Amino acid sequence: MDSKRRGFLKSAAMAAASSMVLTDANLSLPVLTAEDDPAALPSDGDAVSWNKAPCRFCGTGCHVQVGVQDGRVVAVAGDKAADVNKGLLCVKGYHVGGILYGKDRLTKPLLREGDGFVEIGWDQAIDIVAKRIMQAPERFAFYGSGQWTIPEGYTAQKLMKGGLGNNHIDPNARLCMASAVTGFLATYGVDEPAGCYDDLDACDVLITWGNNPAEMHPVLFSRVTDRRSKGENVRIIDIATRRTRTTDAANDYLQMAPHGDVAIALGIMNQLIANGTYNKDFVDKHCAFRSLQSTDPTLQGEAITEDEYRKRIAKYTPEHVEELSGVPADQIRMLGQLFGDRNLKITSLWCMGMNQHTMGTAVNSLVHGVHLLSGHFGRPGDSPTSLTGQPSACGTVREVGTLAHALPGGRLVAKPEHRAQCEEFWNLPAGRINPTPGYHTVKMFDQFTKPAEDGGDIDTLFVQVTNPGQTLPNLNKLFNDKEKLKDKFLIVSEVYPTATTRLADLILPAAMWVEKNGIYGNSERRTQQWFKMVDPPGQARDDTWMNIAIAHRLFELGHEGMKDKDGEFIFAIKDDNGEEIPIWEFEHYYDVNVDKHLFEEYRQFTTMKHKNLAPYDEYVQARGLRWPVVEQEDGSWRETRFRFAGFDDPFVAAGQEFDFYHSTSGDGRAQIWFHDYQPPPEVPDQEYPLWLCTGRVLEHWHTGTMTRRLPQLNRAMPTSYIEMNMDDAREQNIRQGEIVVLESRRGKTELPVWIDGRGRPPRGTVFVPFFDETKLVNDCTLDEHDPFSKQPDYKKCAVRVRKLNGVSS
Amino acid sequence: MNDHAPPSRTTRLTSLSLFAVIVVALIGYLVGLSDGVPIPNGIEAGSASRQQSDDAVNKDDHTIAAISYAEIPGSLTGPTAAFAKNPVRIPTKSDYDLFEKIEPSPADKAESSRIRSTRRAYNGAPPIIPHAIQGTSDSACYACHSNGIKMTGMKASVMSHPFLANCTQCHAPPPPTPFENVPASVENDFAGLAAPQAGKRAFPGAPPTIPHSQWMRENCDACHGGANGWKGMETTHPWRTNCTQCHAPSATLDQAVVATSAPMLPPPAIASTGPASPE
Repeated sequence: MDSKRRGFLKSAAMAAASSMVLTDANLSLPVLTAEDDPAALPSDGDAVSWNKAPCRFCGTGCHVQVGVQDGRVVAVAGDKAADVNKGLLCVKGYHVGGILYGKDRLTKPLLREGDGFVEIGWDQAIDIVAKRIMQAPERFAFYGSGQWTIPEGYTAQKLMKGGLGNNHIDPNARLCMASAVTGFLATYGVDEPAGCYDDLDACDVLITWGNNPAEMHPVLFSRVTDRRSKGENVRIIDIATRRTRTTDAANDYLQMAPHGDVAIALGIMNQLIANGTYNKDFVDKHCAFRSLQSTDPTLQGEAITEDEYRKRIAKYTPEHVEELSGVPADQIRMLGQLFGDRNLKITSLWCMGMNQHTMGTAVNSLVHGVHLLSGHFGRPGDSPTSLTGQPSACGTVREVGTLAHALPGGRLVAKPEHRAQCEEFWNLPAGRINPTPGYHTVKMFDQFTKPAEDGGDIDTLFVQVTNPGQTLPNLNKLFNDKEKLKDKFLIVSEVYPTATTRLADLILPAAMWVEKNGIYGNSERRTQQWFKMVDPPGQARDDTWMNIAIAHRLFELGHEGMKDKDGEFIFAIKDDNGEEIPIWEFEHYYDVNVDKHLFEEYRQFTTMKHKNLAPYDEYVQARGLRWPVVEQEDGSWRETRFRFAGFDDPFVAAGQEFDFYHSTSGDGRAQIWFHDYQPPPEVPDQEYPLWLCTGRVLEHWHTGTMTRRLPQLNRAMPTSYIEMNMDDAREQNIRQGEIVVLESRRGKTELPVWIDGRGRPPRGTVFVPFFDETKLVNDCTLDEHDPFSKQPDYKKCAVRVRKLNGVSS
Repeated sequence: MNDHAPPSRTTRLTSLSLFAVIVVALIGYLVGLSDGVPIPNGIEAGSASRQQSDDAVNKDDHTIAAISYAEIPGSLTGPTAAFAKNPVRIPTKSDYDLFEKIEPSPADKAESSRIRSTRRAYNGAPPIIPHAIQGTSDSACYACHSNGIKMTGMKASVMSHPFLANCTQCHAPPPPTPFENVPASVENDFAGLAAPQAGKRAFPGAPPTIPHSQWMRENCDACHGGANGWKGMETTHPWRTNCTQCHAPSATLDQAVVATSAPMLPPPAIASTGPASPE
């Protein structure tokens, strides 16, 4: 865009804004009049080129059409050809184009010098990182993200586990869906949902378990409510700890006490058994029963008999569940009857409520168990479906296996045969991969923020595409201490300044979204590809390039791990003449489609767990494909909507109705788990009398790094807040909008009060969204976590609210 | 404060603290009387309806008090206090005449475009909500925006797309009432696609093409027709109801096909030299 036109746009925008109701120059679009230069007049859109990309934000994985003109994104439209969103988006998606253009984009590598930073060149930046690693490779850790593209996560994974022989790589998705993973593994022996979003079009009953999809996955939720407004009969049952917009649309609202979900699932199982309405045929043929060992429990647990299961579940009568969960016994009976009715099709949805839970693995397994026991499984509309919050939590974290204990394609570092397979795919000498799992997120940051002399054995930490300075629980314990530790080195690749870059020693400016090629994998197993459409600003560069450039610098410095068995660079890409293309030099990075090369390499890993992916070029043509994607006789590629069910899954033998082919019991059966209810780790008492729940809002995405740069969204939700019940507020003489202090045993923050606002918590409960970097609620949250998934519980801890200027009443 | 000689110290302290207790109690009592109760979230502060004066008809602008059937004949019913205050006059002539000659004014069009543009990040973006919202239920939005409505000095525009649930999923509201004074401006260089001025005409007098996507703008009347459309953008021929009969949409803008040259059958093979023409 030339400067004349830019100037004109600005003045037109200013003029437009001056007389509008809501004065905000940022909100307006230029209007051209006849006097303007005809050459600058917009045509009827012919100058705009459109291309597909998945939305940058949540795990729903909507496809957008991105309109580009003169090298800039100028418009966005819902992609009509996309199955996920059928041409619609949410308010974040419609404004996603603006995330590239915030004024304070990071455009140059910055190195800390005292309290400030100096601008440095990329060569120096990469050299600094490589030398920090070279000094002590085993004291280096990599903290990644469910927003990593698949090639980004894959290069980080290969650099760490295949190159450095270091397993200290973990992603932010540990804080987000690790319990969903362990729930799937414990139940089916393999990760990720059996069903897909098509279930939302077929279900008669939708149960949202501690989930507010009306705000967090609005495109999916509207898919159900739109069916209802067209006259279909869908009953929405909201099980939650506070009223939300989902409750507004629900037919039934079951208000539970925090942790009540565990008891409710047990109560439904109890009713299915007590009434004899469980699906005997399905259970006999396809299920087995399982429970934790009484000593040294493992994720796989031990088999129990049906009689034993019946004996244990007998305790969870509706009355007992009422005591534990606060949900009236009659409502538990109602749920039991619904699940006992085979004519209904029931879909369960959940997200952070069940995952950020000290019993996360247990409650995930129990809800799968409810569906299996009742046989509400494996028909379109009958499905337990876990949603993710990040665009590639499934694709990059769960499938590429960028977790401290995992290897690509569902493999584990602890298994010798899995390590050997990876070494073979990567052409590495045998024994390169370290057999000991690395540090999971909480442990990694604990070790990084602990002084070396006290045993803190992580010295250098590379954070890519995420913002742990805002999202880690109990920040005072896990992050803020870094400030005092001058010998610890924090490297952050980011697009904007964040709570994490605040304490960084080296900031690397990153390209984002359509400024680079990418591949994501959404919540329904859908792998989605897009191409670079515009240039990143200034010196900002791709994260995949950073990983390759660091690896190559290590290679130059003589690190043996950066060589494969034949002495070649581990990320070498050769041209048709067999010459290596210097992709570690950014000016040559786009000489070849690096994403495609990495994806084709990664694809070999995916068949072991039957998560087969198609060649890269198939994804170029599609709006994503749901794995397993299997080649047909005619050479076409077919995606799979419903796994384990004979009518759709290509890996279930012909004629079989179901086959859980990765069964942990080795006999094709899924596991119905029994877990006893355990109370939450911290409950309100006299000193800290309120429950704190944290979460998200419709307008902002996670830490707000992107959405808080968008005028339209920031206008709609300019600040974080504390949602209070009217009676709790009245008791302390707290008024609407007043700033109060929220305190827990771990920290405090100041927030304005919203009484009976968008969400309405019951007495004794407060809710705070975490998007606002100026009001860090994670100074207050708890770092207690699930024993198997290591995922912390952000949804419940004890707090008190105090008036800012006064004494607590 | 208590730096007096020891003999009077105890009594002085007692009376001082007694005084303090009384003052605190009094202040507390008055504060309690005046505003001890939290103000629930609502439309009270900063919304258009706050300016309406109290009226005997109905103190609450948003609800109509329930009355018994017996009272109905004698009672004044109406949606709001403000509405009831204005004497209702039935117009002698409809302000929208289907057969009137329509000459859209360029000035009106520029003004309408200007207002529309202030509410969109780019052409095709769902407009932000320019007014405070009290309820977020779909029916609350639909009440005014299904067919549009005009009230004193205000116009509710018509939905250009079919009914879709969860309006605030796409349309961003202004800040919640308690946070309306929180600074919200951020600097962003995004320059959105400008609104088109007009479609292309093949020749003077030809019907113009549709210069925007029809997706989510299926209802042409929302902007181009009817009493609640946009001034200056109205059709000159409202009696013609099949718009795409004459106005060609863009397949590219409607995501039907990618904008490349249209595939054609190969041209007929013509021999380089034809047979000699008969003399």
